Amino acid sequence: MEEYYLICEDSLEGIFSGVYDAYLMKMPHEQIHLCLGEDENLRLFAVYRECPVDEVKAAKVAKTVVRRFGQEAYLSLCRAMASPETDKAEAVYKTIVAGLSMKNPMEVMGNLANPYVYRVFELARFVAHEAHFHVEFVRFQELENEILYSVIGPKNNIITFIMPHFADRLPLENFIIHDEKRNIYAIHPAKGDWYLYSGGGEFPEDRLRCSQGEEHYSELFYSFFRSIAIRERENLLLQRNMLPIRYRKYMTEFLMNK
Amino acid sequence: MLKQVTGIQKEMQHLTVVPGTSPSTIQKPYIVDCKGQTDKMTLQRKLEILSDAAKYDVSCSSSGVGRKGDGTGIGNTSAAGICHSFSSDGRCISLLKILFTNECIYDCKYCINRRSNDVPRASFTPDEICELTIQFYRRNYIEGLFLSSGIIHSPTYTMELIYEAVYKLRTLYRFQGYIHVKAIPGADPLLIQRLGLLADRMSVNLELPTAEGLKTLAPNKHRKNILAPMRQIQQGIEQNKEEIVVYKHASSFVPAGQSTQMIVGATPESDYHLMMVAENLYKKFDLKRVYYSAFVNVNEDSELPALPGGPPLLREHRLYQADWLLRFYGFEAGELLSEEKPNFNVLLDPKADWALRHLEQFPVEVNRADYQTILRVPGIGVKSAQRIVRARRNGNLSFEDLKKIGVVLKRALYFITCNGRMMYNTKIEEDYITRNLISVKEKLPFDRDGMTYRQLSLFDDNMVYEWKQAAGG
Repeated sequence: MEEYYLICEDSLEGIFSGVYDAYLMKMPHEQIHLCLGEDENLRLFAVYRECPVDEVKAAKVAKTVVRRFGQEAYLSLCRAMASPETDKAEAVYKTIVAGLSMKNPMEVMGNLANPYVYRVFELARFVAHEAHFHVEFVRFQELENEILYSVIGPKNNIITFIMPHFADRLPLENFIIHDEKRNIYAIHPAKGDWYLYSGGGEFPEDRLRCSQGEEHYSELFYSFFRSIAIRERENLLLQRNMLPIRYRKYMTEFLMNK
Repeated sequence: MLKQVTGIQKEMQHLTVVPGTSPSTIQKPYIVDCKGQTDKMTLQRKLEILSDAAKYDVSCSSSGVGRKGDGTGIGNTSAAGICHSFSSDGRCISLLKILFTNECIYDCKYCINRRSNDVPRASFTPDEICELTIQFYRRNYIEGLFLSSGIIHSPTYTMELIYEAVYKLRTLYRFQGYIHVKAIPGADPLLIQRLGLLADRMSVNLELPTAEGLKTLAPNKHRKNILAPMRQIQQGIEQNKEEIVVYKHASSFVPAGQSTQMIVGATPESDYHLMMVAENLYKKFDLKRVYYSAFVNVNEDSELPALPGGPPLLREHRLYQADWLLRFYGFEAGELLSEEKPNFNVLLDPKADWALRHLEQFPVEVNRADYQTILRVPGIGVKSAQRIVRARRNGNLSFEDLKKIGVVLKRALYFITCNGRMMYNTKIEEDYITRNLISVKEKLPFDRDGMTYRQLSLFDDNMVYEWKQAAGG
C-alpha cells in the first residue's frame, strides 16, 4: 500500500491547504499524511509531495470547519496550529476527517477517545494556557515617545491570540509586543487596528529608551509587590507553581530583584 | 452629609489635562497631571504603608464580570478574572490592593491598624490612587483597584473619601477596568447605593463567624451593622437586574456580586460552624464568594490565641476545599460535617472523607452515572466530569481514556467502574481505602520547600496539639 506524505508550510494557511489537497486525492485517508518540512528519515515506498500554500483553498477549508464544527472547535484547531510540534498538521487533518464522519460534527472536540482529536486537544490546551499566561504576565515599558513596549518569548506562537485582548483594553495607546523568539512584532496604533510585522530587523537600541516616568512607576510597583506579601505565609514553591520561572525574565518585578 | 461628594465637580477644575505628546497626537483622557500636590511623604512610602496594611484582606479576584472597553478610555474586564503576578507567599496579585488610609478610630484586637497600635500612618489623596491605578494598569501590572480603608472620623466620612476616589477614576480618568470596594458598615446607605453603581464588586467583611466573637475581638463592630449593608447590596443587585430588563442601558449595580471574609482560628468556632455560616451567606445573601483567612497573629494580644506553628494554613485549605464543594459540586454543609464530627479530617480532603463515609453509594459506573453523581467521585473535578459526559456520547470510555481526560485515577479507582469493571481488584472497605488514599501523598499548596508538610505527621504530638488549638478543640 502506497503512503503519501504532503509537505505543507508551517502556518494556518499552509496546513489548511494541505488538508484541501489531501481531500482532492480522493484516496483512503489512512494512506495520506500531512507533515511539516521533510522528515529526517525519509520512508521507503512513500511518496513525498510539496503542497504549496493556497489562500483560496485554505479559506474554503476554514469555512467548512467553522460551519460543520462550530467556532469553538475551529478555535481549538487554530490554537493547535500555533504549536511548535511537528505532528500538529497530521493531527489537525485527521481530526477534521474524524469530525466529518461523526453523526454530530459539532461534538468533534468532545471525542477525546480518538487519538488525533486528543492530540489537537492537548496542543490547543497548552497554547491556550500559554496565551493566558501572557495575558497575565506581559509587562509594558513606556518608551520616550509614550509607546508601550513589551518583549515576550513564548514556546507557542501565541501573539495573535493575545493581541485582541490588549487592543480592547488599551484602545488609545500605541503599543508593541515583540516575540523575540520568532522576531514578530505586533503593533497597535492608537485608535487603529493592530497588525503583525515580521521579517524585518531588530528595533534600533536607541529607539527603545524608557521614558522618565517608567523608572518611577516600575519602582513603585516593585515596592508594592514586596509589601503585599505576608511574611508568615511565605511559600516560594506555590509562587513558582503559579508563576513559572521562564516568564520571570520578562517581568518588571523580577528584573528589579537582581 | 454628602458635601464631599458634590464638591468633586468643583475640584475637577483644578486638574489640567496634559496635551498628548504621542506621535498620533491622540489625547488620552486618563493621563491627568495633578498639580499642586506637595506632600511630605513620598508616594512610594505611602504605597508601602498602605499596601502593607491592606494585605490581610484576602479577596483579590477580578472575576465575575466580562465587559469590553468602549474605546474612549482605558480598560476592560474578563469574566474569569486575570492574575497579574504572584507574591512570595504564593498569593495572586490581581488588583492594586490598598487602603485609602490606615488611620482608624476602631480598636479591633486582631487588626494591625487598630487605634492602639503604634504604626506609621498614611493617607492617599483620590488623585494619587487614580494615578497609581492608571499607570500600573497601562503597564499590565494589575487588573484594577481594590480599595478599602481604616475608619477616619466616621464610617460615612470614610465612605465619602472612597467614593470620591472611585468616582474620579471612573469619570475623569475614564477607567473601565475592575474595581472592588469595601462597603463600610454603618455608612450612609445612599453612599453605598451610589458606590455600587461605580464598582464591579463590593464586600463587607464578616470578620468573625459569630456575634460573640465579634463582641470580644472587635468591640466597635456589631453583627447587625455588618449584615445591613450586605442585605442592601443584595437587594440592590436584584433590583438592578429588573431595571436592566426594562431599560437596556441602566447602569449596572455591583455586576460582579459581593463577597465577604472570615478570620479562621482567632476564635474557637469549629469547621462545622464556619461552613454553616458560609452556606447561609451563599443561600440567604447570594454572595459570590466567602473568603477564609488563616489568622496571623500580628498584635500578640492576650485575648488572641498564640500560634507557634504559624497561621492555620491546613485548616484554611480544608475550608476552601469544602467551600468549592458547596459552590460547584452540589454538596451541603450538613453532608460534610455535623455536630458530632465538627472538624475536617487533617489527613483527607473533605470530598474523599465524605466518600469514605458513604461507600454504599460506590462504585459508580462512569459510562452511565449522571453528572451530579460523577462529580462526587474523589479524583474527578468539574472539568473532568464535563469532559466525561461529553466524551461518552461517542462510545464507552476506558480507564485509559479517563486518564487522558484528566481524572486522577490513583484517587478515583476505588470509587468507579468502567464498563462494569473496576481498575484493579480492590476491596470496597473503609479502612483499606483510607490507608491507600493516605499513602498517595496529597498535593498541598503550602508544602514548604518541597519537604513533607509538617502537620501531616501523626506522631509529632506538638504539631497535633497546635492543630487542635488552631481548630479551637
